[in-house]
Amino acid sequence: MRRAKYLWTGTALLALVAGMRVWAADVNYQDILHSASHPGDWLTYGGNYASQRFSELKQVNTENVANLKMRWVYQLRHQGIFESSPIVANGVMYVTEPPTTVTALDVHTGSPIWRWTADLPKNLLTIGLFPTNRGVAILGDTVYVATIDAHLVALDAKTGALRWRVEIGNNSDAVAITQAPLAINGKIIVGMGGGEGGLRGYIDAYDAKDGKRLWRLYTVPTAGEPGSETWEGDSWQYGGATTWNTGSYDPQTNTLFWGTGNPAPDWNGDARKGDNLYSCSLLAIDADTGKLRWYFQFSPHETHDWDAAEPPVLFDATIDGKMRKVVAQANRNAFYYVLDRDTGKFIAGQAFAKETWAKGLDANGRPIEFPNIDPTTQGNLIYPSITGAVNWTSSSYSPLTGLFYVNTRELGAYYFKGNPTMEPHNPRDIGGGGGQKLVSGDKAYSAIRALEATSGKLKWQFKMVGDSWTGTLVTAGNLVFCADAEGNFFALNAMTGQPLWNVQLGNSVRANPITYEVDGKQYVESAAGNSIFVFSLP
Amino acid sequence: MIFIRPLFFAAPVLSLGLLAAAPLAIGQAGVPNLAPPHEAHPKATSESVAAGKTVFQGTCAGCHGVDGSGAMGPNIQGAAASLGPEGLFTVIHNGVFGSGMPSFADLGDQKIWQVIDYLSSLGPEGSMIGVGDAEKGKAVYESSGCSSCHMIAGQGGDTGPDLSRIGADRSPSFLRKVLLDPGANLPETDNALQERQSYPMYVMYRAVLKDGSTVEGMRVNEDSFSIELRDANGQTHSIQKFKIQKLEAQPGKSFMPIYKDKLSNDQLNDLVAYLSSLGGAR
Repeated sequence: MRRAKYLWTGTALLALVAGMRVWAADVNYQDILHSASHPGDWLTYGGNYASQRFSELKQVNTENVANLKMRWVYQLRHQGIFESSPIVANGVMYVTEPPTTVTALDVHTGSPIWRWTADLPKNLLTIGLFPTNRGVAILGDTVYVATIDAHLVALDAKTGALRWRVEIGNNSDAVAITQAPLAINGKIIVGMGGGEGGLRGYIDAYDAKDGKRLWRLYTVPTAGEPGSETWEGDSWQYGGATTWNTGSYDPQTNTLFWGTGNPAPDWNGDARKGDNLYSCSLLAIDADTGKLRWYFQFSPHETHDWDAAEPPVLFDATIDGKMRKVVAQANRNAFYYVLDRDTGKFIAGQAFAKETWAKGLDANGRPIEFPNIDPTTQGNLIYPSITGAVNWTSSSYSPLTGLFYVNTRELGAYYFKGNPTMEPHNPRDIGGGGGQKLVSGDKAYSAIRALEATSGKLKWQFKMVGDSWTGTLVTAGNLVFCADAEGNFFALNAMTGQPLWNVQLGNSVRANPITYEVDGKQYVESAAGNSIFVFSLP
Repeated sequence: MIFIRPLFFAAPVLSLGLLAAAPLAIGQAGVPNLAPPHEAHPKATSESVAAGKTVFQGTCAGCHGVDGSGAMGPNIQGAAASLGPEGLFTVIHNGVFGSGMPSFADLGDQKIWQVIDYLSSLGPEGSMIGVGDAEKGKAVYESSGCSSCHMIAGQGGDTGPDLSRIGADRSPSFLRKVLLDPGANLPETDNALQERQSYPMYVMYRAVLKDGSTVEGMRVNEDSFSIELRDANGQTHSIQKFKIQKLEAQPGKSFMPIYKDKLSNDQLNDLVAYLSSLGGAR
């Protein structure tokens, strides 16, 4: 798609004639808005504002996927836990290396064009999270990255030169960021993590030009505000409910959809009796003002660390004969939810993984909890485990199959309750107030599950041996791409789940795959270990 | 100037020390003390262990599990034995760069030592020391055919695990249980990055292939698309799962014989004492 743009400019035309490639055009808001008609690029973390991780590309399809060949490999210069999902725009792949390095690669060859590394404090605090980064945002001629020490940084997309850097939160208060920001019209939206450090969560919007903060929405109400009655005493002051993963955006209604994390302390809710709003919730936020439009709380008074940070997926579908605008989430608590995107009202939902904490969901989508599900000092066996039926990895949705593809984690754990001593602005001497002992061994596994997107009903599954930390990608070539903990990157038939191709990449995969097109050829990308691998047909 | 010069020299010495010691930090006993000057280790008491447990459960359990057996972070039940108290102090005090382990220097020396006392008290099988005679145990080892499958310091077979450092890796009580009933006490492996932290090693499998043939052996590795089985002759079979008609684990089975009725209680104690002496006892 970008080639059309090249031809509009004389320099680009000359470059093509000379056999060169140029990186020319900016990525403007309209490009991202209409990303479906620009399938050659991958312009946002979730592939489009709806976070569907669906690509219109179909050159690679069920007939020929078995012929995929590796084209290039990029090995990280900064090793660590690698969970980045690249952005591809105008012939450049922007990827982040742990803990906060942005590298721009020539997408044709994998050669680095520039690299920028954040200066980080020696006493960097990363409580309850790995020091890594999951990707950048792009808008205009600027690349945006949130650093592990909680700054938002703007870099020149062509050179990597630093344009500006603003503080989002104070890292010495445990604020740390691993998510990719989201670029919308003139604004950069970014949340934060560190909910085990004794803080209140929030989500911010910054002016894309100069980094000026436009609004901040706290996810835990202060005393007297609506929802503050759901916190006991002053527990709201360290209530957590961080916004640590990238959300979605509905341009039609100018609404952001962002998940929130657990209330703190995690495994001991004694001092925070009540529902603890707006923890473990999906928030619908006015993108201009930061005002909360509606919320839906998945796990009230949560005590198992089941964040609702999984990227929400937006789609329109016919339900009971009516076209509905919905937002869906496969939640860490093992339930799949379909909500009305305009009102937040519950439409449908059911468990998609083994769970032993709720009998089901009531008519409003609130869990009907079994008694005695909280952690205990002796240990209480509950499914799913602390890391949940799904974690930060992305699910995908195909408008062609109507299926929602979630990489499901099947593990249980004994949950223990400890004695937390939590206070605001004193992050070092605290913890989540307990922990887990896994029911591990060969019983633990993962599976790609294809759910009927409007109901959550299981259509097929593909089982893996270990517990996988990889998101799914679905394409118009009727393929689902995913990877397993043992290093296999593979393709499944999106309709049936039948495995069609796999390659061993030599190390565990912990990132979401993407696809894009260059010079008329479709590429599929996967991380593995500390490398990026790119495949195409011969 | 006199006061400045020693400091001037101290800095490069310290950084060289850091570089040289870094590789030792993994799997070696007695990591050099790299933490800044700190309070000496007070003698462990039941109170310090209990206090350490409280700190651990509030601060460490989220990643390492409530009993140190691992969660998002690795199993650290053996960390006190493999790193030693000072080594463990360094890790807790400084954190591990590039991993999820942050510095917990702000706990203060006293609480760090309490956590170390608690960690030193852990162990899934306890840490009782073998009561037998290691010299006699060596003779039991040699006369019982152990070396046909196991290697010690380069001598012996390779069907079972190398035992050269087994005393550092396994507790005496676990070794005893394995000798009595190997198939029921398969060791678990660790994987720090996967939550499927540990899974049993040496599990016996039977694979019936679509062509009608059967392979029986010990699982060497398995992923979503393939499995490697080592048969009784030591031959490794790489099998693509799409070729398999039926794959069954055989719980309780092992290539290792059951020594329950083959050895007397004294012989067993002696053998455990010998094995525990290999690679430095816990």
